[in-house]
Amino acid sequence: MKNQLINFHLNGEPVEVYADPADNLLQLLREQLGLFGTKAGCGKGECGACTVILDNQAVNSCLVPAGKVQGRRIETIEILSRGNKIHPIQEAFVEKGAIQCGFCTPGMIMSAYALLKENPQPTSEEIKVAISGNLCRCSGYIQIEEAILCAAEKIKDRIKDSGDKR
Amino acid sequence: MGYLIASNLEQALASMRDSKGKARVVAGATDLYLQKLPDKLIDITAIPETTKIEQIDGNLTIGSTVTHTAAAGSPLVRSKATALAEACSLIGSPQLRNIGTVGGNVINAAPAADAAVALVALGANAALINTAGEYREEKVEDLYKDYNLSLIDTSSEIMLRLIIETCVGGEGSAFVRFASRKALSLPLVNAAARVRIVEGRLKDILLVVAPVRPAPTRLLHTEEMLRGMSASEETWRSAETAAAAEVDVRNSLLRCSVQYRRHLVGVLAGRALKKAAERAVGREEGDYR
Repeated sequence: MKNQLINFHLNGEPVEVYADPADNLLQLLREQLGLFGTKAGCGKGECGACTVILDNQAVNSCLVPAGKVQGRRIETIEILSRGNKIHPIQEAFVEKGAIQCGFCTPGMIMSAYALLKENPQPTSEEIKVAISGNLCRCSGYIQIEEAILCAAEKIKDRIKDSGDKR
Repeated sequence: MGYLIASNLEQALASMRDSKGKARVVAGATDLYLQKLPDKLIDITAIPETTKIEQIDGNLTIGSTVTHTAAAGSPLVRSKATALAEACSLIGSPQLRNIGTVGGNVINAAPAADAAVALVALGANAALINTAGEYREEKVEDLYKDYNLSLIDTSSEIMLRLIIETCVGGEGSAFVRFASRKALSLPLVNAAARVRIVEGRLKDILLVVAPVRPAPTRLLHTEEMLRGMSASEETWRSAETAAAAEVDVRNSLLRCSVQYRRHLVGVLAGRALKKAAERAVGREEGDYR
């Protein structure tokens, strides 16, 4: 298709790109916007490596036409860290050894991020459902589940601490 | 413009007319890249008529672009069209359910699409409007031309909503599936049922299994046999036998052998009926929860 102007919010900032609206969001993020954190896996919605957040919900960016994100809010793995400071979910993944080859990690973390925003204290079963669209071929699912439980605790503690300071 | 997010119905229909058959309607777009891309895409997910879940008189209407996540989580769908909520909660993965739509599940015309199977068992109609402004309603099972091919022409027609007569007192519905994994897995077989029980006996029955034919398939002989029988374990066992005997299935490299599929059809038909009947009994007559 012919390029068209697409405006949306990316990681909290307004962006404007001139792109083929039939390209997928994953291509747009990686090839036009230079955000390589989101991984390209299967390209057909089966592996979850390309998971990003579209208006607070996890989606496979490889299946979202770029034209569809007009006016929407997209969050990618890049939103979670600022300089050397990483997000509690990322800390928990490191501490629990939930990363082996690392290829599924950004997608896993974004699925966890979407879950914890909606449900800050999930059960193990809810975590399993939330990451059921993310394949880890190193099969480190148990550590990933532990990391997400741990991240939920960390976030709860931080909210409590910041409340105490106030 | 290549990709149009239509903000209202008239804009979408006008754009389709201007494109003279070269544009295609798109909603969740999860299957878009599996097909040849058209010249133009008209996204209907922002059209208000396609986005609502409403109870209108005795009907539950579900907008065609309601996502599987929204349908699965809707208290209205869960209580009045339980089979659909169950089916939607089991489709693909969270990422796919967050963007894939109930209408798309029908129009994409996969033979064992979970939501479509539940819709047929619920007796759902689809409301459609074309570029000439003509409105029609069709039974969901009548919208299939062939495997993965819908009779709905997405260059000239828009599905607005699905309409289900809501389950009331004495009625219940259920959906079950069997797949090799719990997520991201095609069902080997799925089944759904809607039953009305009056004084302990099965009165109205809709029983659907897939994949048997291009469209989700009602098992009319089994339904007929069950009419008037008591809601009991013995009945579910005979339903299993009747359902397995009624289907004409084939070997499939993608799914499973003919024997295994026939076995699954029976077991799942029995489970769907039993679950639907339990819900029907749990719901008092005149209970409109």
